[in-house]
Amino acid sequence: MITALEVYRSLPRYVAARAIGPRIPGLLAGPLAPLRLVHRDGPRNPGDGWVRVRPRLSGICGSDLATLSGHTSLYFTPLVSMPFVPGHEVVGETLDDAPGIPAGSRVVINPVLGCEARNLDKCAACRNGQRNRCDRITVGHLSPGLQTGYCADTGGGWSGQLVAHTSQLHVVPDGLPDERAVLVEPLACAIHIARRAGLTDGGSALVVGAGAVGLLTALALRELTPAGHVTVVAKHGKQAELARQFGASDVVSPGDVAKAVRRSTRALQLEPERGQAYLLGGVDVAIDAVGSRASIDTALRTAKAGGRVVLGGVPGDGVDMTPAWFRELDVTGAYASAGDAFDVAIKLAAEAPLDDLVGVAYPLDRWREALDHAHDGGRLGTLKVAFDLRRAS
Amino acid sequence: MSRPGFVLTVDERTPPMLMHSGESFRLQEFPLGTRVVYPPESLPGVVDVDEAIEQALLNPIDSEPLPALLRPGMKLTIAFDDLSLPLPPMRKPDIRQRVLEHVLQHAADAGVDDVQLIVATALHRRMTGAEIKAVVGERVYRSFWPDNLYNFDAEDRANLAHLGTTDQGEDVEISKRAAESDLLVYVNVNLVAMDGGWKSTAIGLASYNSLRHHHNAHTMIHSRSFMDPRHSELHSSAWRMGRIINEHVKVFQIETTLNNDAFPSQYGFLTKREWEWSLRDQAMFLGAKRGIDLLPTKQKRQIFQKMEAPYQLTGISAGAVEPVHHQTLERVHRQQLVEVDGQADVLVMGLPYLCPYNVNSVMNPILAACLGLGYFFNMYRNKPLVREGGVIILDHPVPWEFSTLHHPSYVDFFDEVLAESTDPKVIGPKFEQQYATDPWYTHLYRTSHAYHGVHPFYMWYWCAHALDHVGQVIWVGGDRRSVARMGMRSASTFADALELARDTVGSSPSITYTHNPPHLLADVR
Amino acid sequence: MTSLQKDLKSLSRGWRWGHRKLPPHSAEPHHSFGERKEFPTDWARSRPARAAREVILRGGLTPLIYRETTTKVEGLDVFDDLEGPCIIVANHTSHLDTALLLTTLPVEWQRKVTVGAAADYFFDAWWRAIGSALVFATFPIERHGHGLSDTPTKLIESGWSIVMFPEGTRSPDGWTRRFRPGAAALAITHDIPVLPVAIRGSYAAMPKGRGWPKPGRPPVHVRYGRPIRPKDGEGTLQLNGRIATSIETLLDEDASDWYAAALRASAGETPASSGPQVAEWRRVWASTAGPENTEQRAKAWR
Repeated sequence: MITALEVYRSLPRYVAARAIGPRIPGLLAGPLAPLRLVHRDGPRNPGDGWVRVRPRLSGICGSDLATLSGHTSLYFTPLVSMPFVPGHEVVGETLDDAPGIPAGSRVVINPVLGCEARNLDKCAACRNGQRNRCDRITVGHLSPGLQTGYCADTGGGWSGQLVAHTSQLHVVPDGLPDERAVLVEPLACAIHIARRAGLTDGGSALVVGAGAVGLLTALALRELTPAGHVTVVAKHGKQAELARQFGASDVVSPGDVAKAVRRSTRALQLEPERGQAYLLGGVDVAIDAVGSRASIDTALRTAKAGGRVVLGGVPGDGVDMTPAWFRELDVTGAYASAGDAFDVAIKLAAEAPLDDLVGVAYPLDRWREALDHAHDGGRLGTLKVAFDLRRAS
Repeated sequence: MSRPGFVLTVDERTPPMLMHSGESFRLQEFPLGTRVVYPPESLPGVVDVDEAIEQALLNPIDSEPLPALLRPGMKLTIAFDDLSLPLPPMRKPDIRQRVLEHVLQHAADAGVDDVQLIVATALHRRMTGAEIKAVVGERVYRSFWPDNLYNFDAEDRANLAHLGTTDQGEDVEISKRAAESDLLVYVNVNLVAMDGGWKSTAIGLASYNSLRHHHNAHTMIHSRSFMDPRHSELHSSAWRMGRIINEHVKVFQIETTLNNDAFPSQYGFLTKREWEWSLRDQAMFLGAKRGIDLLPTKQKRQIFQKMEAPYQLTGISAGAVEPVHHQTLERVHRQQLVEVDGQADVLVMGLPYLCPYNVNSVMNPILAACLGLGYFFNMYRNKPLVREGGVIILDHPVPWEFSTLHHPSYVDFFDEVLAESTDPKVIGPKFEQQYATDPWYTHLYRTSHAYHGVHPFYMWYWCAHALDHVGQVIWVGGDRRSVARMGMRSASTFADALELARDTVGSSPSITYTHNPPHLLADVR
Repeated sequence: MTSLQKDLKSLSRGWRWGHRKLPPHSAEPHHSFGERKEFPTDWARSRPARAAREVILRGGLTPLIYRETTTKVEGLDVFDDLEGPCIIVANHTSHLDTALLLTTLPVEWQRKVTVGAAADYFFDAWWRAIGSALVFATFPIERHGHGLSDTPTKLIESGWSIVMFPEGTRSPDGWTRRFRPGAAALAITHDIPVLPVAIRGSYAAMPKGRGWPKPGRPPVHVRYGRPIRPKDGEGTLQLNGRIATSIETLLDEDASDWYAAALRASAGETPASSGPQVAEWRRVWASTAGPENTEQRAKAWR
């Protein structure tokens, strides 16, 4: 028997969370969350090549919160299978032997459930090492689910046990503490975002948002790309401080983005009759690391003509795409991670100043507090809230 | 389970902090990184108080049991602490009443006829009959008042006894009745680490002639702090005097310690840690604050002065003074000691409505200064909470207001002495003698309810260590005129105070806020 | 802005109204998370709450149960010579079980019985806690050993009988799981009898995951057994074993008949209530069949 947090289908909660949630955020961690603590058997082993993993730390991601508050696009509905245990930022311990990974190894999990995990012949993307672009994420011997943490069969990080395919596992070096290892998955995503930005030597970049994704993206830009001037948009004090630590050239508050980018790129600023100011000229690459309408707007309106906008967060609806057309922008998606991003992330996690990031870890039975904390994390100076499963039975 | 005290670091999740400010309180937001020192939570009280008292009397430390010391025909004097302790006054029955009743029962059983009870006021004001009755209880009061239960009179030459001088040449002059008794029993309330021990008898029952040796600027600067008897020049002197007293009279010392239940339950938010405030606590805070702020001064003061603390006894020890006091200090430390790592550039303290010298009276500017720079600043062991040359920020309105009944010499001290100099080392030699011997002040001290003429000097000496140690003292919300008279600066808000402090400690100083009352004693490492 | 508005703003911001309480980071070691306060349920045993419950049980729940299921109750005669308090234990396969027990108990027992419910589920959210405490007279039980509560002791001492499901959770396949020894320990501590109850058919009627009984008035059997009294010097595990066996026998008895079950019991051949060790589908398959519907109803409008 394991303890697990489980997302289940509840239309009334979905509707209520969407309607009331933004006004009374406390309810999202309370009666409105379509989430429950259950005691159940661990997920069944789907077959050869799979091992059981006991999570040690499991992060709460912005996309998890969006799911719980009913703010993800309905586009995802066929890509998940209910009820599922969320949690795809996991550092854990294997319980079974796998080739080259003896039981008891500390591992991080690449959550994408591609062809290999589904016991299928590799599709073109998977053959290319771009498992995040796999076309077969709803078929094979597993229930639909784009990732571990959205699939009914694999379990997820917010529980005492999950199953993972050997191809998903990456062994964590001994010297890397859990608190850093749990950041490997988001860091791998950030590395992928940074790579998708395709910056050339000295190119300028804007990162909209300084949550975990935004900050790690700023870090990845600085460490792994030849980016020149990197501007980060941060709302809260602690975020700004970390952004600077991670190598941002400039940290601005959301209200001052256009002004600051205009100055640093010598662009022209225009004020439409309604809505945000925009630039003629601007940064080479604008990266949205939030996924809200406002943040994507900001990114679209501050990228230079012919520049690129990278969507790093799960995009919200109702974005005005005019700038993409008018300024001939490349709108680039960046979902999960590909190639050797995980290996690079493990290396980077050991070196970068990440100690302050995992602010607090809650046991599972205090999940309401944990989610509430994560919702308000920016203001509370906590970049990443995690579940601590090390003490649980 | 009561949790130990600790040091909080203010972060984004920290709610604003409750801060006392005279006859009000408010919420204050502190810069991130500010350290807030919380006292340990109130310890559980002794369940059977009568049993505990009886046990202490029958099994004293280094002394025969109390009954064995009592015999018919003997001269028994019982002295006890005055209304400066505890603060706020204790909900009835006062612990002194309960101890006195036990002691007197033993005396009655032994057939002792000659019993006198003396309030150990030293140079404090005489307590009124009603105030004494509140402390000793109706039975004791009716049996002994007024002839055999009275305030000590330090100016009654005929009733003082000079017992000799210490090896440092200090005169020991105390109540003649106490000195010439067969047994002197002292009943103490040890609210803070400064109280008790030989300070009870050698100071509580002493005259100006004796007190002047340690109540001066020099001694106070070298008492670091006077809340830590091992490193207090004041206490060394009292202990030397005590040993002389010990040669003349058998002293049976009874010391009691209280927990931290300093406020009635409806004001629970005053002692609760802020992030644990329930919605009810928040409502109580808001209601109490708004209610109090709307009232005229007089009613406001009445509400505060009527507050009685539901203190509970944490322990009692009896017997020879020094070993008893050793046990007492251990208990006080258990309730009040908090370890603090290192000193800060700025020490912030909110001053409440009450200090030992304005019970049922007005907190004048000198007393406010003494509460902040004397008492609160000295609540440390090892080294002060603020670094040398640092800044103290106090929160109190410091109104230019004096009680002419209780503090007549303070008025002149404030107008005349402080106008000339605020340096304790300067004003002592120049003015102290005049005030101490002024016949009008002496008359009011002996017959009315006035503090002794020299008392304001003592208050100012109490501040000497702090004034010597820090670079600047700033009062938030303090009356500009009274603050300026004391040679300090006032600021209208806490932010302004930090702005003023910039000259001394720079733009991002380390800040420590002590979250008291209830009392805490910082053990600074 | 008036000073009242200022104070309110400072309170609402500082204390994060609408959010959950959160101690400052540096205060966490000094914050008592672990000793989460037990949800108070004393009110649910007060006179008005009892009266309300009686109305709900008799006016709402009982007719509902009888309308939605075909309930058969046996063995109620044990209450004739049983004095409370006692601990009533049953196998647990469905949310129906609590309702079945409460509605089938004799009225005078109904008034003095309270149900141990998982604190982490039933008392996790206030609305569920209040609802279940009012309707089912529940009190919280920590099933993960977060420190021992003295609530059961207080309840027994003040004469309340306690319903407990020793399996700790509903069975996922209808067969009984390992019994935890909590109920046995309580019985030994207080030297009170344990009343075993077997429930059959509730899994088939409303298994885990369903919120309402299946249509067609599925048959449900509730069979009360003879009380088991702790023997002198008996250990918790021994007593726990006897309780498990008696429920096993009761289940057997319900499926066959009393004498046949008794014969099998004395021969040690009672079929295991944990079910056959076969493929899972067969276990579920067998459980979903439910008991045979033995009730002969006059079908007047045939």
